[in-house]
Amino acid sequence: MATNEMQAQALNETGGGKTSFAISMLFPLFRATLWGLTGYFAAAWITAALLGSVIVNPLPATVGYIVGLVGWLMGSGLWEGWIRRAFGGAEAPAYTGVERYFRFGPDSKSTAVRYVVFNVVAFFFAGLAAMAIRVELLTPDSTGWWMSTIHYNMTFGIHGLMMLLAVAASVIVGGVGYYLVPLMLGVRNVVFPKLLGLSWWLLPPAAFAVFMSPTIGGFQTGWWGYPPLAQNSGSGIVFYVLGAATLLTASVLGAINIAGTMVYMRAKGMSLGRVPIFVWGLFAASTILIVEAPATFTGALMDLSDMILGSHFYTGPTGHPLAYMDQFWFLFHPEVYVFALPAFAIWLEILPAAAKRPLFARNWAIAGLVGVSMLGAMLGVHHYFTAVSPARMPIFMTFTETVSIPTGFIYLSAIGTLWGGRLKINAAVLLVLMAMMNFLVGGLTGIFNADVPADLQLHNTYWVVAHFHYTILGAVIFTWIAALYWWFPKVTGRKINEFWGKFHAWWFFVFFNCTFFPMFIAGIEGMNRRIAIYLPYLHGINLFISISAFLLGAGFLIPLANLVYSWRRGEKAEPNPWGSKGLEWQIKSPTPYIPFPEGTEPEVVGPNDNYAAGSKEPFVWVSTPSK
Amino acid sequence: MAENGYASLMDPAPERAKRGAFFFLTLFASIVFAMWDLARFLWGGTGVPSTLNMGVGIGLTVLMLISLVPVFGAQRKLNQGDDKGILSSMGALLVVAVIMICGIVYSWTSLPISSGYGGIYDITTGWFLLHFVAAILAFLATIMKGSRTPERAKRERWVSYNVLMYWGGMVVLWVVFFGIFYLA
Ligand code: HEM
Ligand SMILES: [Cu+2]
Repeated sequence: MATNEMQAQALNETGGGKTSFAISMLFPLFRATLWGLTGYFAAAWITAALLGSVIVNPLPATVGYIVGLVGWLMGSGLWEGWIRRAFGGAEAPAYTGVERYFRFGPDSKSTAVRYVVFNVVAFFFAGLAAMAIRVELLTPDSTGWWMSTIHYNMTFGIHGLMMLLAVAASVIVGGVGYYLVPLMLGVRNVVFPKLLGLSWWLLPPAAFAVFMSPTIGGFQTGWWGYPPLAQNSGSGIVFYVLGAATLLTASVLGAINIAGTMVYMRAKGMSLGRVPIFVWGLFAASTILIVEAPATFTGALMDLSDMILGSHFYTGPTGHPLAYMDQFWFLFHPEVYVFALPAFAIWLEILPAAAKRPLFARNWAIAGLVGVSMLGAMLGVHHYFTAVSPARMPIFMTFTETVSIPTGFIYLSAIGTLWGGRLKINAAVLLVLMAMMNFLVGGLTGIFNADVPADLQLHNTYWVVAHFHYTILGAVIFTWIAALYWWFPKVTGRKINEFWGKFHAWWFFVFFNCTFFPMFIAGIEGMNRRIAIYLPYLHGINLFISISAFLLGAGFLIPLANLVYSWRRGEKAEPNPWGSKGLEWQIKSPTPYIPFPEGTEPEVVGPNDNYAAGSKEPFVWVSTPSK
Repeated sequence: MAENGYASLMDPAPERAKRGAFFFLTLFASIVFAMWDLARFLWGGTGVPSTLNMGVGIGLTVLMLISLVPVFGAQRKLNQGDDKGILSSMGALLVVAVIMICGIVYSWTSLPISSGYGGIYDITTGWFLLHFVAAILAFLATIMKGSRTPERAKRERWVSYNVLMYWGGMVVLWVVFFGIFYLA
């Protein structure tokens, strides 16, 4: 039987192409943009001409979007890379060098790296929208020199939708998860590599359309898209609906891969109990997407149909606008667990390696992750207690509050792991600890929201805004940055700058809390959400919030610079800088194109978090039985 | 063009995984249809409008059920390793998909989308129509791949299995749809 030494040797020959970057490699990206935009304008104009209307109307914009999306995908290399071959045509070469980052392809690692880039860009622009919101709220009046109230509404709608679906939904699942799932499970790639590749290429046009929605009239509904306001306040809602549906589709394609890979492709010897906890977190999130996304997906299509096809699902005398709320929140409550469960799971993945202690109560943690995902399906109504009959109130209040129980398992597992360990705190671990603090505030204030008598007062105030920023920005984004730092050596072979990492962690923690904690107070004092004009007695606290927000926002340039600089110039990292026992760290860094060579595969022979002195390695490399 | 070694090494899923994981995709798709089926009662009430063409509905449903014959036939051939033998079944199913599309479009003429039942009927059948278009492309791809590059089709037999699985799922979903939109 082979040993780990044999593996170390063989791993040196799995690099794939070693070509260096050339401008011509951007060709697919360029072609995709060209075909996308041409497709959009051509189709929208033709439709408008046929209907005798203009291209900014809902129907031409919809047709334009669909044709543009297809054009973009074909331009990206979907045709040569997948479709042509599927019809028995020639097969495109496997791109193994840098060029794979710039075109459609089946390599999950480059897909994940593209996810990071996309998320950073989306975070940047949606963050600018947040800054614009805080400029507006610097003074209680309408701040007419800055933007109109109509533009203000568009701005927070775009901010919300993009931060949720183009950032939170994929930062950890996409950028971190798609990279690590195959490596952690001990396979070379996911179950449907091309489907995963496709998932990324759906994102840019969707996000672009949402950001561009003001050009066709924008939308006034915020990220909810509630009818009948949706149908009555600008064609931009078309881009909202199509963009959201496209982003959801991308999530579902990823979820199918995560679930399928975990269920069917685990390394030899990896029983379900030994599946790395991060993969469990992703699996729980995936089940949510597969089972609950359909409700919201159909709601979006029906909203759109009312706009362009003349149906009356939510509008007119036969419409049921409240049905939209049920459909919308059936996914979008659990969607918060799609953001949060992978983040929790990252804590549980990083902490054992940092404290050099096994994960405490591992099976309870798994039960916690899966339990939250299952309970989540029954809670959506807590988002509109003000719109339902009293009979539904106590039921959904109770269900919501039971979620604290499995969430508690996760916290206890994390705390038990830390207890008595000697934690080595680097920037990533620091961010994880901060995320745990922030989430505690977010989760506990959620209980107030879920409590009907309290919520009837708190609903639609800044209290709610504070609550969900604590959970999403405070927990998910902190954890995202922690994960980028922690696995940076895996992807680039270098380390990030620890000093600036920690410096930013503190900056982030301080200004995050300065920005969002006062929102709880403002909310209780009567500051409504989604308004450009507020009463003068709230001026002081809003001024404080805005200034903190600008500092918070500017601070994100630090990790951006850190990541970019470290990628080129950072200190070289050894293959396993944190001394982790995770399978992904037993593979050469940066991960070769082919993570481990033909003819070998890992076999799991023990738990991957046993850090006791002298414990044996959890994996051995064995040769693949000849087929 | 030669098949490249990297590509197969980097698509490591065995047939069992490819077929098993396809279940998650069909699960998602089925739940979408379940949503439409549920929505029928909210928007369409419990009655069936007199303009609904029952004959066409029954005809299409019987056709879908009959189409299970080539599905099972092809499945058996695949199990025996006869990859060429399924192509005629795929062709037959392709024709069925085209007829289904024509039937759906014909039904639209008598059920205006602005009415309650008509709205949910039209959007549901429109969603079916998209799936039939996808099925046509899938059959076409299977047929073309099977005749142009039979070696590849043999190596990737899971694709044919999944195409048949997809159609089998469509039959089930259509029968449920018929029960809910025509009979209930
Ligand atoms: C898993 C982490 C969580 C995330 C990411 C999260 C996210 C959110 C978001 C985005 C909203 C606002 C949606 C909107 O109105 O635009 C929200 C509201 C709400 N959250 Fe959470 N939440 C989390 C945890 C919790 C917990 C643990 C509870 C209860 C125990 C809870 C209860 C609520 C309730 C009841 C509302 C509605 C408040 C209202 O609009 O009146 N949340 N949450
Ligand atoms: Cu919720």
